[in-house]
Order: sequence, then structure tokens, then C-alpha cells
Amino acid sequence: HLISSLLCLETMILSIYIALSIWPIKKQTSANLMKILMLAFSACKASARLATLITSTPTHASDLLHNLNLLWC
Amino acid sequence: MTYFVLFLGVGFVLAALLVASNPSPYYGVVGLVFGSVVGCGWLMSLGVSFVSLVLFMVYLGGMLVVFVYSVSLAADPFPQIWGGWHTTGCVLGFVFVAGVGLIVWGWGGGGFGVGVVDNMGVFFSRLDFNGVALFYSCGVGMFLVAGWGLLLTLFVVLELVRGLSRGTIRAV
Repeated sequence: HLISSLLCLETMILSIYIALSIWPIKKQTSANLMKILMLAFSACKASARLATLITSTPTHASDLLHNLNLLWC
Repeated sequence: MTYFVLFLGVGFVLAALLVASNPSPYYGVVGLVFGSVVGCGWLMSLGVSFVSLVLFMVYLGGMLVVFVYSVSLAADPFPQIWGGWHTTGCVLGFVFVAGVGLIVWGWGGGGFGVGVVDNMGVFFSRLDFNGVALFYSCGVGMFLVAGWGLLLTLFVVLELVRGLSRGTIRAV
């Protein structure tokens, strides 16, 4: 399933976001900009990934990775 | 109360386990929603409540709703269930990796003591008020660049789904 890989990537991004949130607390710094930027850009990435998924699913009749033929559009 | 924070952290790892070992994307989305809810609670109990709210609204309310709809579009009509060798193998692999990470980084890092901002009564000023305000004063260039990037992403997505019959969108 292609969307299972998208879900795992989203989980990784969520864990990186929480780590970026917790790290300035532990180190007593003020680096809170990075997580907001990361969240914004991860939203961009997720939307691009989902658009690719939605447009390539009807062509291959499902989103199973065995069915994906990269020669199709 | 200290162990509540630890419990939320463990809950987040369990949600990641749920996502990684899903037999069908329907369960993966449930794990992702649960993980983001638990992550919000974790961030809020650690003292940064603003980014917890940001995560709630942007991630849960925006992105995960879109994800749930996409899963309902792209997943199979007869999903598999829990149980079986595939799920058990994924769970064991995840537990193994998490255990290795815990042993390598967890034991020598000072244990599980969590000192939150509410240690001596409720502390009114949260820990992230100063950081996000920098977005408007010092980091205004990055703010504008990020806004421009988001606008460009809108056009990228529109271009990806363009085309009624020549493009890749067809009747589902």
C-alpha cells in the first residue's frame, strides 16, 4: 500500500516535530522557530504526496505497490 | 503526576507502533490520530501549550482530516485484520528497534526524570511564548519565504490534479 508508507512518513514527521519541541525545553534555549517552519513545510510535503497518490491511484486500479507500473502516468 | 508525562510519552511510542504494524491503512490512520492527540497532551504537560494547540489545529484538524479522506479513497474495500504473521513480525521488529534505542540512549541519559514547568504550582508563563514571537521580529524573512512556499505548494497541487480526461484524474 502506498498510503501505508505515507502514514509512516507522517508519523516520523510528527515524532521529529515533538522532538524539536522538547529539545529547547531541555536545553533551555529559544529555538522555537524550527518546529513551526517544519510543520509548515511538512504540510506542503504531505499535500504534494497526497495529490500524487490521488492522481496515480485510479490509473493503477489501487494503490498497492505491486500494481504500480512506473511507465504509466 | 510526573509519571503521567512518562505515560503520555509511552503512549506516543505505542501509537507509532500502531501505525507501523498496521494490516490495513484504516488502522494506521487511527494510530496517527491517537499519536497526535497523545503528543499534544505530552507537549502541553511539558509546558509548551502554544505549539500543542498549533499541532492540534494544523495537524489534526487540517492534515489528518485530509489523510482520513484519502485513506477512504485509496484503501481496499476488504481490509485485513489484526493477527497473523505480518503484524506480529512488525510489532516484534518495532519493539526490538525501540528497545535498542532505549538501551543505547536511555540508560546513560539521566533516567526518566521529567521536570515540568508546573513543578511548584501552576506557572503562568509557558515556555514557548518568546520563541514564536521571533517569527515576526527577527525571522520575518523566513516567515515570508515560508508563506510564499505554501502558496507555491497550492499551485503545485493544483497542477498535479489538473486535467479532466487527458490528465490522471479519472472517475474513481
